[in-house]
Amino acid sequence: MQSNVLPRSQRLETLKRLRDFFNAHNSQTLKQAYDAFSLEHSIDEDELEALFNRYFVGPMEPVADPFASVYLDDPQSVMTQSTLHVRSLYETMGFFYPLKNIVPEDHIGVELDAYYQLIYLEEVKNVAYLSELRYYFFHEHIAVWMPQLIERAMHGRSEGDNAILFILNELKSFLIRETTTTRSHE
Amino acid sequence: MSYSKAKVEEILNNTISRRSFLKGLAASGVLSALPGGVLEANEDLNTKIPYSGEKSYQTFRNACPRNCYDTCSIKTYVKDGVMQFIEGATESTYTRGGCCVKGNSYVKRVYSARRLKYPMMQVGGKGSGTWKRISWDQAIDIIAKKLLEMKKEDGTLLGAALTKYSGNFGITHYGIEGMFNSIGYTTRLAGTPCWPAGIDAQNLDMGDMWCNDPEEMKDSKFIILWGVNPAANSIHSMKYIYEAKRKGAKVVVIDPIFTETASKSSQYVQIKTGTDGLLALGMAKIIIDAKLHDQKWLDANTKGYKEYKAYLDKEVKLDDVSNVTGIPLAMIKELALSFAKAKPATIWMGYGMQRHTNGGSMIRAIDALVAVSGNIGKYAGGARYGHLNTWGFNYAALSQAKPEGSVGYSGPEGAKGEFAQVGGEKAAYTDRFLNINKTARELMSAKEPKVRLLWVACKNVFAQDFDRNQLIRAFQQLDLVVVADQFFNETAKWADIVLPVTTQFEEYDVNVSYWHYWLSINEQAIKPLFEIKSDLEIAAMLSKRMNQLQAGSCTFPQSVDTKEMTIKEFNPAIYEQFGIQSWEELKKGPVKAKAVIPFADGKFKTPSGKFELYSDKAQELFGSALPKYLEVRQPYDKFRMTSPHSRWSLHSQFQNLEWMEDFHPEPFVYINPDDAEAKMVSSDDMVAVFNRQGVLRLRAKVTDNVQKGTVLMYEQHYHNSIYNVNELVDDTSSDMGAFKTGAPGVALHDTFVNFKKL
Ligand code: SF4
Repeated sequence: MQSNVLPRSQRLETLKRLRDFFNAHNSQTLKQAYDAFSLEHSIDEDELEALFNRYFVGPMEPVADPFASVYLDDPQSVMTQSTLHVRSLYETMGFFYPLKNIVPEDHIGVELDAYYQLIYLEEVKNVAYLSELRYYFFHEHIAVWMPQLIERAMHGRSEGDNAILFILNELKSFLIRETTTTRSHE
Repeated sequence: MSYSKAKVEEILNNTISRRSFLKGLAASGVLSALPGGVLEANEDLNTKIPYSGEKSYQTFRNACPRNCYDTCSIKTYVKDGVMQFIEGATESTYTRGGCCVKGNSYVKRVYSARRLKYPMMQVGGKGSGTWKRISWDQAIDIIAKKLLEMKKEDGTLLGAALTKYSGNFGITHYGIEGMFNSIGYTTRLAGTPCWPAGIDAQNLDMGDMWCNDPEEMKDSKFIILWGVNPAANSIHSMKYIYEAKRKGAKVVVIDPIFTETASKSSQYVQIKTGTDGLLALGMAKIIIDAKLHDQKWLDANTKGYKEYKAYLDKEVKLDDVSNVTGIPLAMIKELALSFAKAKPATIWMGYGMQRHTNGGSMIRAIDALVAVSGNIGKYAGGARYGHLNTWGFNYAALSQAKPEGSVGYSGPEGAKGEFAQVGGEKAAYTDRFLNINKTARELMSAKEPKVRLLWVACKNVFAQDFDRNQLIRAFQQLDLVVVADQFFNETAKWADIVLPVTTQFEEYDVNVSYWHYWLSINEQAIKPLFEIKSDLEIAAMLSKRMNQLQAGSCTFPQSVDTKEMTIKEFNPAIYEQFGIQSWEELKKGPVKAKAVIPFADGKFKTPSGKFELYSDKAQELFGSALPKYLEVRQPYDKFRMTSPHSRWSLHSQFQNLEWMEDFHPEPFVYINPDDAEAKMVSSDDMVAVFNRQGVLRLRAKVTDNVQKGTVLMYEQHYHNSIYNVNELVDDTSSDMGAFKTGAPGVALHDTFVNFKKL
C-alpha cells in the first residue's frame, strides 16, 4: 500500500496543479496550470481553453459537467442535496466560502481546493484534527463521483484531445493513490 | 488508517456533537494553519449556535414572467440562500395556490446545469463551437467599441439592431429597449409573431383590446371557447369554466383539433381551418333572422349595423356556411340560437385563429357576433382576446433619452409617429423598424446602413422566427451577434458573444398579465449564480463603458439596482387601480385591480366612440370596412400543417429541461387515420414531413383528433434534437397587425406540407 503513496510534497503539488487547472478562469491561468504538470504534450493556449470549455464549461452542454450533483443526484442539476452536504462538510471543517450560493460547493475545483488544504494541514502543519472528516470527504464523496466524471469525459473524448486526456489521467492516478490510503472501519 | 463514517455523520448531523467539534476546531488552531485558496478559514466560526444550515425557510414573492395567459403569482421558499420549492400564491384567486407543470419545474430551471454561466465568445466563428470565456469587462468593451466604431463609420447607430420579444414579460425588461434607446436611433425588429392580427381587429371594432376578467366566466351561462385550448395553455382559467358548467352553463369548443379542452366541453364543433369568420357571420345572420339580437344595444352602441346586416342578408348564404365550415347547418342553427338565448354569454378567441391570412377578419367577425348577441359590456360576457389594461407602468427603464446629436432614420416615407416632421421642414429622426416576422430577409436586405450588430434578448430567434436556412445566412453576414439568454439555444449557437442572464428569482421585477387582472411583485429570492447578470445590469455596464470611451454616448444609468428600477415603475394610477398605497404591500401577496366591466359605459375608443361594425379605418388600412368573410390562403401542398403550442413548453422555454423531456421525450406528427392509411403510415413509423421550406423527420401518431387533410406538429424544442416546426413555415403575413403593432402577423397555420413513410 505504502508504495502507492506519493512523497508528501509531490502529493500536495499534484493536488495543487489539479485544483488550479479546474479553477482556471481564462486561457492564461489555464495554460499556466497545464504547464505546471510538465507534460510532454504541449498545446497552444487558445486551443487548450477551447478544449477545456468544451469538456467542462460550456456554453454548450459540456462533455462532463464539473459538479458532483450531476453524478450523484440529478444529471441536469446543480445545487442539490449533495452540494448542500458538501457545504455542511466545509462549514464543519471551518471553511468560509466566499462564493457561497454563487458557484456550487461541489464544483471539482472547489472540492480539490478543500482537499488540498486538508492535506496541507496534515502534511505541512501536522494538524490531524480534520483528518477523519477529510477521509470521509474523500471516500464518501470525492471517490464516488470524480471517477464518474473521468469516465464520462473519457467516453465523450474526441480523437486528438490529448491535453485533456493527460489531465484526466493525472486526476485518475491521484484518486487511485488516495483511495488506497484510507477506508472506513465500518 | 481508517475513519468512522458513523462518527463523521454524527458530527455533521447531531447539533451537540457538531457544536463540541467546532469548539475543538476553534481551540485547536486549525483555522490559522489553513493555507487558504478558493475556500478561506472562517474567522467568525460560530460555535455557539448548533448547526442548522439556516433551517428555517425564507419566503419571497415572485411571478412567472413567461408568455403565458396565467402569469402566476408565486411564493418561493429559500433555505440558506438556496431555492427549495415554489408554490402558486394562495392570495391570488386566479393562481389559487398552484402552478402548471412548467412553473413547478422552476427550481430545476434555476439550478439547471445547462444554464449559461459566464460571458463567452465564439472565437472560431459563428456556429464553430469554439468558445472562449471572457470577463464581463471584455465582453462589454468589445460591444461598446463596435457600437462606437459603427456610429463613427455610418454616422448613425442604425446598423445596430435589437430583437427582443416575450421570453420575459417583466416590466423592467423593457429596459432592454431602454438600453437601445439610450445609445441613439437604432434598428428594431418590430411587430409581434403572436397576436397582432387580433389586436388590430379588436382595435378596429372597439378601439381597444380589453377583455373581461376571466374569473367572471364562472357566472357565464354560455361559453364558446373558439380556437383556444386553456386545458393545456391557461390551466388556471379552467376552474371558472368548470364552475360555470357545473352551474348549468353550456361550454362549446369550436376548433379544427379535438383538444384537451374539447374533451372537457359540453359540445365540440369541428370546423375546417380558416373558416371561423364565415361561421361567425352565419351565426349572426341566424340570430338576427330569429330576432334574438339585441337591437336596443346595437342601436345605442354600434356604428354600421345597417351595412353589416345588409351584407349578411345579401352575401352570407347559410348553405355555403355549412359547406365551407364543414358543420351541419342544423348544428350551426342550434348553436347560434342557444348562444343568443343565454345571458350572459361569452366567447374566448384563441391566438391561433388569427395566425392565418384572414386571421384579423375572423376575429372581427366573432367580435361582431358577440355584439349582435348583446354581450359586449356585460358582466361575464364579452369578446375575450386579451388586454393591456393593467400595464400602465412608468416604463422608466424603457424611457431613455437619445444622446445629444443622435442621427436616425428618415426614410422615403419620412419619420413616423411622435417623431413626425417638425414645421414641415426638417424630418425628425426615428428608429428604423424591420418586420420581426420576416427577420431573416429584413436583416439581409436592410441598407444604408446595413445591419452589422444584432442584440438578441428575451427571444430565441432560431426557434421562433421563420426560414431557418435564411436566418443562418443573415446571422453569418453580421459583424457581431450578441445573445443574452439563460440557456444555450440554437440562436446562441450562431452568436459571437453570449451573455448569461438572470432568471426572475435572481432579480427584482413587477408583473401583470395580458389576461387576468392581478399584480405581483417579483422579489430577488437568491443571488445570481455564477457570473450571471440581469439585463438591466448589462445595460448599465454598457453605458458605463461607452461613456468611458466617448462621454455622452449613452444615457442609460451607469449603475443599477433591479429593486430600485422596479420601484420606479410604479405610479399613483397603478396604486389607484389596484387599491394599494405602496408597492411594498405586494410583499404580502399579489393584488387584483378594482373590478371594471370593459365597455359597460358604452364608450368605445374608436373614431365614432361606438362599436364599429363598419370601420372606415379598416377600409383604409385593410380594404374592408365590414368584417367580411375573407377566404384563407390556398394550399400550395397536399396537407395543411398546424403547429399549436404544447403544454410542456412556452415556445422554446422549458422543454429543454430533462424533467419536461420525461413527460414528452420526442416530437410527433399527428395524422388523421384516412391520410395515414393512404400513405401506409402507422403510429410510431418514422415519416418525413416536407415542403418547399424544408424537411423534418419524426415519428407519426395516427389519431382522429386531427382532421383529414391536416397534420399537426407541436411548436416544441428539445434539448438534444434539431426538431423545429418553424423550419416548415414560411413567413407569409396575416391580414392585420400593422395598425397597432407595427407589422402584420404571420399566417403560420397556413402552412402546407406533404409526408411520406421512411
Ligand atoms: S407557465 Fe403559465 S401556468 Fe405555468 S407557472 Fe408560468 S404563468 Fe403559471
